[in-house]
Amino acid sequence: MRVHLHTSLQRPGPAGPVRRLEVDLPAHGTLADLLAMLDLRPDPKGLLLVVNGRTAGPERVLAQGDEVHLIPAISGG
Amino acid sequence: MEIWRVNLRTGSLQRGPVPEAWDRLGGRGLLARILLDEVPPACEPLGPSNRLVFAPGLLVGHMLSSCDRISIGAKSPMTRGIKEANAGGTTGLQMACLGIRALILEDLVPSPSHVRTDWRVLHLGPEGARLDPAGDLAGLGVFAAAERLRARYGDQVAISLIGPGGEMRLVAAGIQNLDKERVPSRIAARGGLGAVMGAKGLKAVVFDAAGGSRPPLADPEAFQAARKLFTRNVLEHPQSGLYRDYGTAAMGAMTNAMGALPTRAFASGQFEAVDAISGERLREVMLARGGDGTPTHACMPGCAIRCSNNYAGADGRSLVTPLEYETIGLMGSNLGLSDLDQIARLNWEVNDLGLDAIDLGAALGVAAQAGLLAFGDGDRALALLREIRQGTPLGLVLGHGAAVAGKVLGVIRVPVVKGQAMSAYEPRAIKGTGVTFATSPQGADHTAGNTVRAQVDHLDPKLQAALSRTAQINMAGYDTLGACIFAGSGFSVAPEVIPGLLNARYGWEVGLDILQLLGRETLRLEREFNRRAGFTAVDDRMPEWMTLEPLPPNNAVFDVPDADLDGVFDW
Repeated sequence: MRVHLHTSLQRPGPAGPVRRLEVDLPAHGTLADLLAMLDLRPDPKGLLLVVNGRTAGPERVLAQGDEVHLIPAISGG
Repeated sequence: MEIWRVNLRTGSLQRGPVPEAWDRLGGRGLLARILLDEVPPACEPLGPSNRLVFAPGLLVGHMLSSCDRISIGAKSPMTRGIKEANAGGTTGLQMACLGIRALILEDLVPSPSHVRTDWRVLHLGPEGARLDPAGDLAGLGVFAAAERLRARYGDQVAISLIGPGGEMRLVAAGIQNLDKERVPSRIAARGGLGAVMGAKGLKAVVFDAAGGSRPPLADPEAFQAARKLFTRNVLEHPQSGLYRDYGTAAMGAMTNAMGALPTRAFASGQFEAVDAISGERLREVMLARGGDGTPTHACMPGCAIRCSNNYAGADGRSLVTPLEYETIGLMGSNLGLSDLDQIARLNWEVNDLGLDAIDLGAALGVAAQAGLLAFGDGDRALALLREIRQGTPLGLVLGHGAAVAGKVLGVIRVPVVKGQAMSAYEPRAIKGTGVTFATSPQGADHTAGNTVRAQVDHLDPKLQAALSRTAQINMAGYDTLGACIFAGSGFSVAPEVIPGLLNARYGWEVGLDILQLLGRETLRLEREFNRRAGFTAVDDRMPEWMTLEPLPPNNAVFDVPDADLDGVFDW
């Protein structure tokens, strides 16, 4: 699956900030598993989790081909 | 503190104590109370019975981080209901230092001809009020007019002014205020308050608090303790760092991921070129170009968040300050534009005209649907905006905003409620914000209660009315305090801060529920004004096309039941 890292979650890479990752999760892996695997800082509790355009909770089971966005949420413009 | 009334026909100033019934309100809540008490709800917004009111929020005057906002209100010529629009900058602080809780501008001198030339500037200082002739400012853009006003009145004053849009009484005209660098970039943009000011023949109001002092504190020690806790909470909240580094533009990639970024006249919720207009890209460009550009800028003295920015061109000279998500959405993806420089030029143009970038972006989207503009053609979009300055019939149509443009051009896919354009949150994909758009007494306005950050399924219609209710109450409360929504991060983690500040400032004994009490009272007053102006439940509806036309990529329609919309204010 493809994982999109927004703003402060992006890390420096040799070709600029790393904004997208291709990740293989074990079968029946959840968003919580993904967050644990990525070992995100800051605390993932403040993140908005979006899978295929829809907000989801950490218990959401992920499948191959999912587009996952991990978003340090802000509250408006 | 006092209420100041200036009669613009006679030039008289009355100063008096704050009436008891108004005493526990400020900002948006006080505007609602004053407008309900003094403005006939059925009046013509551009006529003599309407009143233009300036009111700093309850916490304004102490340079608390993000809490010096000025609320400006009147009956709106755009929605024809109650209107409050607020802005940062220095106007609120100067008013509070003059000891003014509210400034009420009454009546007008009718213009001797359709195109007014007898413009005036209202100067307010410790000695009182004075109306100065300002015919030489006629037709001047906001930036040139502000420069001339600064030369005339000095660099220590606050100024609220209108541009050609307000002079032409275009109903998308706002009122601009100086930021702390004295750039007239802080716009009370929504709902046509600039047209009300233009109808009253005022080009500017100058607030000169020289010799004034900050409002008194009932308990200075308690105030400092509450301030310290609040500032620490603001600084420690992760959201503050995001705003500091990326500004509100960080929202673009977030709404795009949710299928909620208005794209090509609200035809899609995702923009294929979102990376080119993202907060990350904006930051990269500003840092790489240097010069005037900076991704971190405070619009008000004392703000610890500093979400604003200054966007410079390739030559390092400022193109516009600030460049915000709403403009990037409505004038970028909504027009199929992915060039930040072009978006910045459109933004500067509407700022100089003194018009609301949200409504103008939506109006250009309407023009595109009518075949007057190809999506992605930034040069044509700029040429259309310049027609407003020239006063061509098409320019005037667009300058009145999206609702008027839709009517004249025969376009029914117009993203408005109560005649006011939606901001850059697709209500079919973020349905809680859609409920706010539909039901807010202010017309479609995300600042009246945005739900985008909630960790819920934003496509599920069942959850949205309750979410919107909470957000609308909180926002009406913050707007009454004079607090920026982003100060909410500092308030929410320590509910004792707001009552602590208010009690220390005023000697009150309010409790933990004061934010909600203020918010509910404000909404109640606003809805009552609108009821008396003839509004019914029918006015609290999404445009029908958004309930019928599925929005890619989620193929969602706005399907929150009418009964839920009608129950938003039942608490």
